[in-house]
Amino acid sequence: MQRGNYVLRKIGFALVTLAAVLVFNFLLFRILPGDPVKLIIHSPRMTREAQDRIRANFGLDKPIWLDLERLAEGDIPGTFDSQFTAYLVNLFRGDLGISFATRRDVSELLAERVWRTVVLVMGANVLAILIGMAAGLVAAWRRGSRLDTGILLAALFSWALPTFFLGIILLILARGRLPIAGMVTPGLKPADGLTYWLDVGKHLILPTITMAIVYTGEYILIMRSSVMEVLSEDFILAAKAKGLPTLRVLRDHALKNAMLPMVTIIALTLGYTVGGAIQVETVFSWPGIGRLMYEAVQKRDYPVLQGAFLLLAVSVIIANLLADLLYSILDPRVKAE
Amino acid sequence: MKASLSKQLVIWMILFVLLAGLVSCAQKETPAEVPGETEETQVPEEEPAGPEAEAPVSAEPVIMRVGTTYIWDTANPAYGWYNYTLRYLVYDTLVEEAGIGRFVPGLAESWTYSDDGLVWSFKIREGVTFHDGTPCTAEEVAWSLNWTIENEIETFSFYLVNFEEIVALDATTLQVTLSEPVGNMEYLLMYVWILPPSVWEGMDYDDIMEFEDLAAAMGTGPYRLVEWKEGEYLILEANENYWRGKPAVDRMIWREFATGDAVVQAMIAGEIDITASDAVPATAVRTLEDAKNIEVAIMESTAIDELIINSHENGSQPATLNDPAVRLAIAHAIDKQQIINVAYLGYAEAATVVVPRALDYWHNSDVQDVPFDLAAGNRVLEEAGYLDSNRDGIREDAEGNPLVFRLYAAEGATNARILEVIADGLAQIGISAPPTLMHENSLIGLYPDFDFDLIYWGWGLDPDPDFAMLIFTCDQREAGGWNDSGYCDDEFDEMYRQQAITVDHEARREIIWQMQEKLFSERPYIVLTYAQTIQAYRSDRITGFDLEAGDLLWKSAFLPARPITQ
Repeated sequence: MQRGNYVLRKIGFALVTLAAVLVFNFLLFRILPGDPVKLIIHSPRMTREAQDRIRANFGLDKPIWLDLERLAEGDIPGTFDSQFTAYLVNLFRGDLGISFATRRDVSELLAERVWRTVVLVMGANVLAILIGMAAGLVAAWRRGSRLDTGILLAALFSWALPTFFLGIILLILARGRLPIAGMVTPGLKPADGLTYWLDVGKHLILPTITMAIVYTGEYILIMRSSVMEVLSEDFILAAKAKGLPTLRVLRDHALKNAMLPMVTIIALTLGYTVGGAIQVETVFSWPGIGRLMYEAVQKRDYPVLQGAFLLLAVSVIIANLLADLLYSILDPRVKAE
Repeated sequence: MKASLSKQLVIWMILFVLLAGLVSCAQKETPAEVPGETEETQVPEEEPAGPEAEAPVSAEPVIMRVGTTYIWDTANPAYGWYNYTLRYLVYDTLVEEAGIGRFVPGLAESWTYSDDGLVWSFKIREGVTFHDGTPCTAEEVAWSLNWTIENEIETFSFYLVNFEEIVALDATTLQVTLSEPVGNMEYLLMYVWILPPSVWEGMDYDDIMEFEDLAAAMGTGPYRLVEWKEGEYLILEANENYWRGKPAVDRMIWREFATGDAVVQAMIAGEIDITASDAVPATAVRTLEDAKNIEVAIMESTAIDELIINSHENGSQPATLNDPAVRLAIAHAIDKQQIINVAYLGYAEAATVVVPRALDYWHNSDVQDVPFDLAAGNRVLEEAGYLDSNRDGIREDAEGNPLVFRLYAAEGATNARILEVIADGLAQIGISAPPTLMHENSLIGLYPDFDFDLIYWGWGLDPDPDFAMLIFTCDQREAGGWNDSGYCDDEFDEMYRQQAITVDHEARREIIWQMQEKLFSERPYIVLTYAQTIQAYRSDRITGFDLEAGDLLWKSAFLPARPITQ
C-alpha cells in the first residue's frame, strides 16, 4: 500500500517533469533571436518566393501558439493551426520533425545513432564501475595506508581531468597504432560479420578508455566513502568480533550496505548516457548522438537539437525514476517517509 | 523477505556487471591483437564493376583518402548546400571554373551570342554519357536546364535568370533565348549542374525533394558516387567513360572528422592523404609543415572580413558616423596587419576593395589602401572639427557629441581579440568603441532596424563580382535581403543594373571597377582582409595539383594531380 503510493507519486512527478520539458523544449528554440529560415537557406541569391516556400515546408509560416486572427474570424479549429499544436500532435505520433540540414526524419536520425552512443557509454561505464568499485573497496579497507592515498590521488586526478583534454592526449599517444576517428574503416565489406565488428571494436578502444578513466574517479570516491561509513558501523565490529574472514565481512556486510549510494550514482550516470558523450564523440569523431548534437549546434539545425534534447531529457527522467524505485526496494526506510 | 530480495538484486547486478565487463573486454582485446594492419589493406578490392575489369593494367587501385569536417548534407542536389567541391566531381556544367573567377569550357565546347546578347548558342560536347550509360547530348542538357527552371530547384535555378527559352537545335547545339542580356553568363552556367533525365524525369516537386537515393548524385563528372555513410565516410569511383579520360585516382574516400584538429591528427597519423578546404586551422600549419611527407598549400580564396559601418539613413547610428571624415579616420586607425597576425596567424592578405584579389580580373587594383597611420587619423579628425574639449580622451563634435560607437562581432575567441585590435586603434585617435560580442543570431536580429554602429563580420563571396556589388543595392535592405550595411545610392544601383546586362567583359569590368572605387571612398565597409585557404596533402603519395583553383580537391585542381606509386 505504502509502496504503491510511493511508486505512484514518483511516476506522477516524472510525468509532470516530462510535460514541463516538452513545453520548454518547444519554447527554447523559438525564443532564440534571428529568422530560422535565414539559417536554412545558404544562398544569398535565393528568391523570396523560394524562401517563403521553405518557411511553409517547415511550418514556420504558422503562428507560434494560437492563431488569434482566425479566432477573431470565428474559425475555431483554425485557431489551433499553430506551430505548438503541430509540435505536440507530431510528437505523439513519434514524429520529431525534419532536419533543416539533411531533410531526414529526426526520429530516424536519432534511432540510427543512439545505439552507437549507448554501446560507447555502457562499455565505458561497465569498465569504470568494475574498477571503481574494486579500487574504492580496497582503499576504504586499507584506509590511511599508502595504497589508499595512491588510489585517492589517482581518483581525484581522473575526476578532475577534462574529458576532451584527456581524449586529445590519448589520441596523440595512440595515433598510428589505433584508429583515432570514426566508427569503422571506410568501405569495409561486408557491413556485418566478424571482421566488421572487430573493426568497430578497434575504433571503440580509445573513446571507451577515455570515458572510463573520467568516470572511474567518481566511482572510486563514492565507493570509498560509503564503504568507509559502513565499516565504522557497530555491526561490522560485531562481524569482525565473530571472527568472520575479511572477505566475508566486506562482501556480506560492507559491500551490500554500501551499494545504495552506488546504485544512485550509476543510475544517474546512465541517465546522462545519451548526452554525456558529446566531448568524447567530438574528439574521436564517433558518429553518435553527441556528435549529432555538436553538428546540429554548429549548423543551427533546430529540429535535430530539439529531438536530441527531448531524448536526453526523457532518458534522464526515466533514469531518475528508476533510481527512486530501486531505492525503495534496496532500502525499506525510503518508502516509509 | 525484503532482505533476500535486495540480496538477490545485488547479486544479479554484480553478475550483470561482470558479464558485461567480460563481453566488453573480449570485444576490446581481440582486435588489438592485430596491430600493424594498415588502413589500405582493409579497403576491399572487390566490386570490379563491368568496365573496370577491362583495365587490368594496375591491379591495385589508386586510392586517395580525403579528410573533412563535414562531407555533405545530402546527395540530392535539389536541396544540398554543402560541399560543392565534392558535387563538382560527380556533375558537369556547361562552363567550368578553372581558377578562381576564370571560366573554361565544360560540357559546352564553345559558345557564341547574338549582337543584342539575347540569343546564345552552345556547342555541346559529343559522346558524353551519364554514369548509368545514358547519353548526354544537347537534348538532355536542354531537358535538364528546363527541369531546373520548371521545378524552381532552390539550390541553383536562380542562376538561370532571364532564361526564356532553352532548346536543342540538334544533338550538339543548344540555343538559349534570354529576356534581357546577362553580363556574367559563364559564371551563372558554372553553377547549373546537368542532371540525367533517366533519374529525374517524371518526378513532381515533392518527389524531387524527398529523393534520397544515391542516384541523385549521378551526373557526367569524373567520379561516380558508390557509397555514403552519413557522418562517417563517402566513396567515389573513377568514371571510366569521363570525357576527359579516366581520372588518375581510381577511388576517393572522403572521411568525416568532428573537428579540424582531428583531421590534422589523422593526416599526421597517415590515415588520410589530402585535407578538404575547410579542415585545417591556421594553428596547425606549423605542425603539418614539420611532419614528414606532408606539404601545406596556401591559396587565395574569395572570403573577406570587413568592418561594417551602419550607413542606413534611418539606422540608429550617431550622425557623426555618417561624416566621411570620421570614416576616413577610422580607416586610418585600423591595423590590418595586426588583425591578420591575430586572426589568421599571418595566413591572409590586407584588403582594399570589396572584390577580393583572388578575382584578379575584377578586383580594382588601382585603389590604394588608406594606410594604418594614427597621426593621419588624428589630423583628419582635428581638421574636421572633432576636438577633445573636455579632455576625457574622446573627441566631440561642435555640439559636444562624443565620438562613441558600438562595436559588435559574433562570439568567438578570435573575434574578441580582433575587436580589441580595432578598439585600441580607435581609442588612439580619440574614438571610443567598447567591443561587444554576441551570438550570430543576435547580430542578425539587429537587422530589421539597423540598430548598430560598427560590426566586424565576413563573407564568402562568389567567383564573380555581381554578388559583392548586390549587397550594396537598395532593394537588398528589405527583410530577407543581404544588404548588411544599409548603404543605398541611386547612382550605385544604376551602375549595378548596367553591369548586370553588359555582356562585353571589358565594358562590364569598367563599371565594376568604378563601383568598387565608389564603395571604397564612401566606406559602408572597411574591408579588412582577404582570407587564404589552407590545405595539406601527402607529397609522397600525390603531386601536381593546380593551385589556381584555390582548393586542391576542386575538379580543375585535382584532375591534373598524379599519384606517386612506390
